[in-house]
Amino acid sequence: MITIDELRASVHEALHYLKGRKEVIDAEVFASWNDLITIRINYTSDIPSNGVQEPKSLQSYGLGVLALFKRGGRREVGFGSVTNDLSIGGVSEALTKAKRNMVFDPDFKSLPDTITIPTLQRYHDNRVMEMSDQDTVDLGWKVLKGSLETFNNGGYKKTIIIGGDVTILKERVAIKSTRGVDGFDETTSLSANITAMIEKEKVKGTGWSLSTHLDSFHPEEAGREAAESAIRTIGGRRIKSGKYPVVFGNQPLADLATNVLLPSLSLASVNASNTPFLGKLGQKISSPNLHIYDDGSMKGEIGSTRITCEGLPTGRTDLVANGTLVGFLANSYFGEKLKNSLYHPLPRSGFRYTSMGRDYKVKAGISPTNVMIEGSIETTRDELIKQIKNGLYVGRIWYTYPINGLAIGDVTSTIIADSFLIRDGKIATPLTPNTIRINTNIKEVLQNIIGITQEKRSTSVWGSKVVVIAPEIAVSEVQLESIGL
Amino acid sequence: MKPNSKIIDTLKSTVSEIVQKQAKSLRESSYFDLRLGIGEFKSARSENGTSKEALDDYEASFGIRVIAGEISSWGFYGQSLGRKDLKPGELERLLLSGIDTAYGRAKANAKRKSEFKKIANALSEVRLAKIKVCQETIPAEFEIDPRGIPLQKILKTSMNASKQMKALDPSVQFASTTIKTAITRELFCSSEGAVIDQSLPVTQGVVYLSAQQGEASPEVGYDYVGDVRGWEVIEGKNCYNSNFLDFALERTRDTVDLAGAEFLKTTEEEVVVVTNPHYNTLLVHEIVGHPTEADRVLKMETAYAGRTWLFESQERNEIGKRIGSPLVNAFSDPTRRGYGYYTYDAEGTPAKAITVIKNGVLKTFLNGRETAAILGHEPNGSMRATAPSMVPLVRMTNTIFGPGRKNPKNIIKEVKDGYYIHNYRTPSISESREHFRISAQKVYKIENGKLVKLYRGGGIMANSKDFLMSVDAVGNDFKMFPIPTCGKGQPMQIMRVGNGGPTLRSKARLTGC
Repeated sequence: MITIDELRASVHEALHYLKGRKEVIDAEVFASWNDLITIRINYTSDIPSNGVQEPKSLQSYGLGVLALFKRGGRREVGFGSVTNDLSIGGVSEALTKAKRNMVFDPDFKSLPDTITIPTLQRYHDNRVMEMSDQDTVDLGWKVLKGSLETFNNGGYKKTIIIGGDVTILKERVAIKSTRGVDGFDETTSLSANITAMIEKEKVKGTGWSLSTHLDSFHPEEAGREAAESAIRTIGGRRIKSGKYPVVFGNQPLADLATNVLLPSLSLASVNASNTPFLGKLGQKISSPNLHIYDDGSMKGEIGSTRITCEGLPTGRTDLVANGTLVGFLANSYFGEKLKNSLYHPLPRSGFRYTSMGRDYKVKAGISPTNVMIEGSIETTRDELIKQIKNGLYVGRIWYTYPINGLAIGDVTSTIIADSFLIRDGKIATPLTPNTIRINTNIKEVLQNIIGITQEKRSTSVWGSKVVVIAPEIAVSEVQLESIGL
Repeated sequence: MKPNSKIIDTLKSTVSEIVQKQAKSLRESSYFDLRLGIGEFKSARSENGTSKEALDDYEASFGIRVIAGEISSWGFYGQSLGRKDLKPGELERLLLSGIDTAYGRAKANAKRKSEFKKIANALSEVRLAKIKVCQETIPAEFEIDPRGIPLQKILKTSMNASKQMKALDPSVQFASTTIKTAITRELFCSSEGAVIDQSLPVTQGVVYLSAQQGEASPEVGYDYVGDVRGWEVIEGKNCYNSNFLDFALERTRDTVDLAGAEFLKTTEEEVVVVTNPHYNTLLVHEIVGHPTEADRVLKMETAYAGRTWLFESQERNEIGKRIGSPLVNAFSDPTRRGYGYYTYDAEGTPAKAITVIKNGVLKTFLNGRETAAILGHEPNGSMRATAPSMVPLVRMTNTIFGPGRKNPKNIIKEVKDGYYIHNYRTPSISESREHFRISAQKVYKIENGKLVKLYRGGGIMANSKDFLMSVDAVGNDFKMFPIPTCGKGQPMQIMRVGNGGPTLRSKARLTGC
């Protein structure tokens, strides 16, 4: 394990070394240590299985140098990194690579300057940093306990499936640059994302828990929630194809946001002319009730970090206000490239995420952190369902993609769990999973929002680092297709 | 000098000895294996003719899987490696520490498994199906060594392509290309005595562009060339038989044409569709490749990528049953050249070709040693990991629809009223892969055997079995394409696979905008 003091000392010494190199105009050193532990869960009551399939971890540390060089009459930029080496020898090797890799990029303006002071302080959990292997393995078994006890108590013992994982990410980063950036950060995050099924009943339920601290992390509850949701949806019915008013629960809204909406609100997509919101800045793109912002400085959310991977303090980036598109997620590179006299984006979204977390091996791209979706006027879940009167409550969708490319905005997905028919303003019969495909367009979804709940839940979806603080939203006129065997 | 793949020559005996020595000393372990790999790569990216990024570097890592404990269970440890770690003494220290961690996790896991057995009686010990234990060195095969290509040449090739793409038509708003060429070398040693040293070249080029006409939505194009070969892939030895520049310009022309085309409308009823080999690449990937991966079959992916409609239980499944018309055949073959090529999988099982669907009847699943043991099947060597530091998963290989005998021109000529679905774009699949919606780059209306009109934003959707059962013509124009971005697992692993097929004719609903 590498300490934060070691990382800070390393970037300090590295910068001193780089400042002494004549060929270097400007440089930034980013060092990180990551430990990603995954406890994968697989229990099948009718097939031999392991319960906890495998406790595993990936560990890495090192540093990356992004440097501007003089070559001929122009400035060129290069990046190089080294693994498991924080010494001056390592810095020298990274610089050699950066020099070997340098290119002339006319759009690269400069390394970022520091702007404000970070607000988050000491928000990680030292207990997580120091957890033993036995304790981490136990978190996986706690999930199973929650699900199995719930199923057993309900008398469901056959065709049971319990899957998912407990994931623990420990990160330490430090950064220093010739432009005055000087920051460090330590984060811990814990997540349990669980799916439980009773196959013979064709039902599936979802449960999850996200936390930065062990005390508020409840894997057993996530297991219980998944099993309870599966039991609750027994006896499902199919519905016919058509346009329906739909309440999207926390998970479906997070899925739509993660896979379609937020990629559309990134300056990287604007740069590639690959967003349905091209040229829409300052225009209405949704119901006037909708607000969306990204905020990496919210205490207690696992998407929070003290600083970005460009060393800038995290904070709030407004994306949609009163239904008007007011901003895009930006890093320093795209912020500088695409700014104009009317729009000067703050680069609060420059992160070096890989599957390992914040990773010294790559340069900063654009990633959301915690995304808040809220309404000017908010209501309760019961009122929302009453408002819909007859329609569908969707609790979990799957394989959500911008099917005809992001720029067109068409979205498709299937409803796989946790869903119900709404009749006479009340939750009625469960919907049979895997029998409905949603075929819609993200622009229509935003325009057709007719209600937003006050209650929200932090939610993340498979393969993504973003946390969506998701309400439940009611949307009119959603095209649903009856599918399945 | 940067570390390179030759370093495995000096480390091989050290690693092999550590594994054999530890195999004797870990008293509660029944099996363990170790993978140590190094990849040397060069890559470059450009936009609109300007350079964006160049990289000449290496990546090294190792991963250890241990089975141990009272009711034997898995434990795993993976780690990245740097230059200083690749010296025999330091490497030995790291490997021993990694083995110790994986062993400790396996024992801790087994202890809890034993306690939970009271409330979860399906909990079982891990068993691995037997394989032939091999010791072999497989060198990388290429015509032009990726290591010999100067970084500047890669950058210039990328820049030239994106510059010409941008200049092709005023409607092109953005043109980007990325090229990467690499050699990976991976050493696999197991407590059973396997020592497999396998090297593979990989070369890939990606084009990404957008074109816009008037106020219409921009049309975005994205496609790749790639193969388990050297730089010759970029010079024309690829599935398109076309150099990278020509491939990039062809895709740009397609995108420009589409930007001015009418949007396709969704149909309520099924129509006759002819799907071309490129489209069938993603179709076979989604409705044959994934649903026949044995970890999905055994419900192990339920929380992530889903289950499969081909297997409910050992008693109720589709093995030996008709799931397609007699014209439908499908194979998975890592021994043939393509993006899913290799000689041994990540468990040291020799790669082999398997028939997945024969004359419309499902024959078997792709598996690894653990899933083969549960199913009572013979291991067929389908386990791979993105890097040695990650856990191997069941992955499709070169998984393809088999060729037929019909001239594809005649397949279209016989259609009075239908649609030609040309080149895949994006998939969305139901949870058990029983239904799909896959969009196409282009859709053409067929009238009286001729292509009469181009549409954008289209694709098809159907129940997987209905589509396969309705296949009434299979072309003799088999082709295989690379899919470099197949995601699976937690944490997500992105894998290269090969898929393909001939032209097919079937029925499906059209999907539009």
